Amino acid sequence: MRLISHREVHMKIRKKAFAVGCAAAVLLTSISFTGATASNTSSRAFPSKAVTLTMWWWGDQEAPGAKLWLDDAVKAYKKKRPNVTINTVLQTTEGLVPAFAAAAAAKKGPDLQYFWGGIYAQQPGWDGQISPVSDHIPASELKHYINATTELSFQGKIWTAPWYVNPSFPVVARKDVLSKYKLTVPKTWTELLNVCDVLSAQGVPALAGGVKDGWFGGWLYSIIGGQSITSSKDVVAAVVGTQKFTDAKHADWWTRLQETQEHKCWNSDINSLELYQAQQLWKDGKAAMTVVAGPDAPNFANAVGASNAVVMAMPKWGKGPFAGKMGSTSQTIGITQWSKNKDVAADFLMFTHEKAQLNNWYKRTGSMPADDRFDMSQVKDPIKKALFQSALPGAPYLENFIPAQLDTDAVFTNVQLVLNGTKTGKAAAADMQTLMERLRKTDRNLVSNFTKWSK
Amino acid sequence: MIKSLQTEDRFTAPRNLGAVFGRLDKSGPLPWILPAAMCILLIFGYSIIDLVQQSFKYRGEWVGFENFSLVVTDPLFRTAISHNFLLLFAVPVLAVLSFMCAVLLFETRKGMKFYRSAVFLPYILPIPVIGVVFGQLLQLNGALNSALRAMGIENLALDWLGEPGQALWTMSGIIIWKEVGFGTILILARLISLPLETLEAARIDGAGFFRLHSKVTLPQLKPVILFYIINEAIVMVSWVFNYVYVMTNGQGGPGNATVVSELYIYRSAFQNKSPELAATAALLLLLATLIFIIGFFKIQKNANRGLFDE
Repeated sequence: MRLISHREVHMKIRKKAFAVGCAAAVLLTSISFTGATASNTSSRAFPSKAVTLTMWWWGDQEAPGAKLWLDDAVKAYKKKRPNVTINTVLQTTEGLVPAFAAAAAAKKGPDLQYFWGGIYAQQPGWDGQISPVSDHIPASELKHYINATTELSFQGKIWTAPWYVNPSFPVVARKDVLSKYKLTVPKTWTELLNVCDVLSAQGVPALAGGVKDGWFGGWLYSIIGGQSITSSKDVVAAVVGTQKFTDAKHADWWTRLQETQEHKCWNSDINSLELYQAQQLWKDGKAAMTVVAGPDAPNFANAVGASNAVVMAMPKWGKGPFAGKMGSTSQTIGITQWSKNKDVAADFLMFTHEKAQLNNWYKRTGSMPADDRFDMSQVKDPIKKALFQSALPGAPYLENFIPAQLDTDAVFTNVQLVLNGTKTGKAAAADMQTLMERLRKTDRNLVSNFTKWSK
Repeated sequence: MIKSLQTEDRFTAPRNLGAVFGRLDKSGPLPWILPAAMCILLIFGYSIIDLVQQSFKYRGEWVGFENFSLVVTDPLFRTAISHNFLLLFAVPVLAVLSFMCAVLLFETRKGMKFYRSAVFLPYILPIPVIGVVFGQLLQLNGALNSALRAMGIENLALDWLGEPGQALWTMSGIIIWKEVGFGTILILARLISLPLETLEAARIDGAGFFRLHSKVTLPQLKPVILFYIINEAIVMVSWVFNYVYVMTNGQGGPGNATVVSELYIYRSAFQNKSPELAATAALLLLLATLIFIIGFFKIQKNANRGLFDE
């Protein structure tokens, strides 16, 4: 047995201390690395005191059954976290944005807020009204959320957590109405205009629509205008001024829209009907086609008999890479900056992406949850399957890449006027460009924010 | 005699109370109006100061008159103001209709209570209810047009709220329908309180219906009609938001055909997230409304003087 000198003992202790130190350093580094963007949510103990979260949401309008799902999810979460109570408040379509703007001004309101994708989630982030979910949800989890990085990221952060996917926006066609006049489902623009001519001569609208509340204008911009651009960066370029909304790739869709008016494609009362009111004409067999929200498309098809309905992208006119493709956007939930329980809110968001919740979402709404871990094998309905698949590598949804004010003040209004026949497509494009130039002056941070977003 | 007693009563009560509080009496009415004045100053004064401050700032930084320049040069703001101005044309229509309704009700011998309620009913209906009902009723294929088509007058079946050229006039028609009840009741109340002797004397002198009410009744109703006109002018300039918001789903459409200044302010603040531009537009609207408010006070002063002179 060899005697160990004091020096050797000292050396051994130093080596051990060094090894422990190295191990601790590696461990700490790895923890801080993996959790760097998630603000150490997992390492922080979940609060044991009573917590109440308020969630303002929207979505039952386009994904019927969402309310039932949310009730289920809140109940299930209460079982998991008995100290957390979640109050949910369903918002109206017109009230969603203004109500949150008022809450943000008062820095008081919901902990969790529903946002449409793209600019509707970016702007609150730029204005400091929401805390990036990537600060509270680990990157390993967020990477599964569909469209999180395409629409919702900004300078390495992700503002909001995608909830469900909205294939944007399918056209639904009724075979019975078309075949009555010896017509088939149009696939190209020329075919569409031909259908319009034949049906309008019989007093039947080829397309049912309602633009009184404006929203349908944004849909039309996205599904017709998306056919001539090459990427969402084109749209952002027109926003920041390196391209123009009067350039052919941005303006031609207005001419196409004018053509639909000239060929009497739409119901004559399009300007006095709201979006959802007009869709009823299709269900009633009074129109051959209409455009519906992606999550609701299967319900529309089933309402008239799945074999009688065709769900498809807008007939093709453009030569861009997205012509004939459906757009894809995710509707999202954000955590407000003033919430005192951000990590609990994030925990609830992650809970909604657990397998049981994803499956229940599909069961309740028949639409696609925004998570690539959703088991697609349970989707048997061919219409739904095709719809879900179309949304995965979908086209950019244009409306989400322009300032919201440009959407309401130029797109909504000019679509009403073009479809009314009081404005030409060319004049509408010029108006959109003029308004964009003005917006660059009124919103002094617009160019900078959009430029950063596009990078 | 009666008048002097009323006047005495009016002034002795505070005096007695003033005696209880001793020195308060010497400072006149000030102590009595001070609590209310403080509340008003706190609520409105603070808001107005904040409004003025905001209109000169952008994201907290001083920008001088930049916001004013942006608002005044905004074609949409100018359109909105022009629509408010056009809505002012409804005011004389309202005044004439209200006067006529009031006189007819005054002359009605049977069922006055029923007719009075019927005329007043639209005024007490909530604007959202009116908006929703008229929104449905006036659709191109709505109930009104269906009725017109059934009667064979299809040419009159218009897209009342969907056609940019007529949407604002339709809107003003709905506002008139609702607001005429207020004017009728206001004028009728004054009409009932007029001394009957004058009317009787005019009748005995041979004045017919039109001469009686145009030459005898109308001049006596002048103060209340003027008050009503000023009140409705304020409504048209800064109180029509609810109608437009409900009937056009917050859009002011079709196009910008029904955008009014309040909707412009609301959209700037809550949809477009430009509180500074909203504050600037609100300040300009406040100044415009102030003109009417000053007019209102002047008329009220004259009317009071007229009453005391009686």
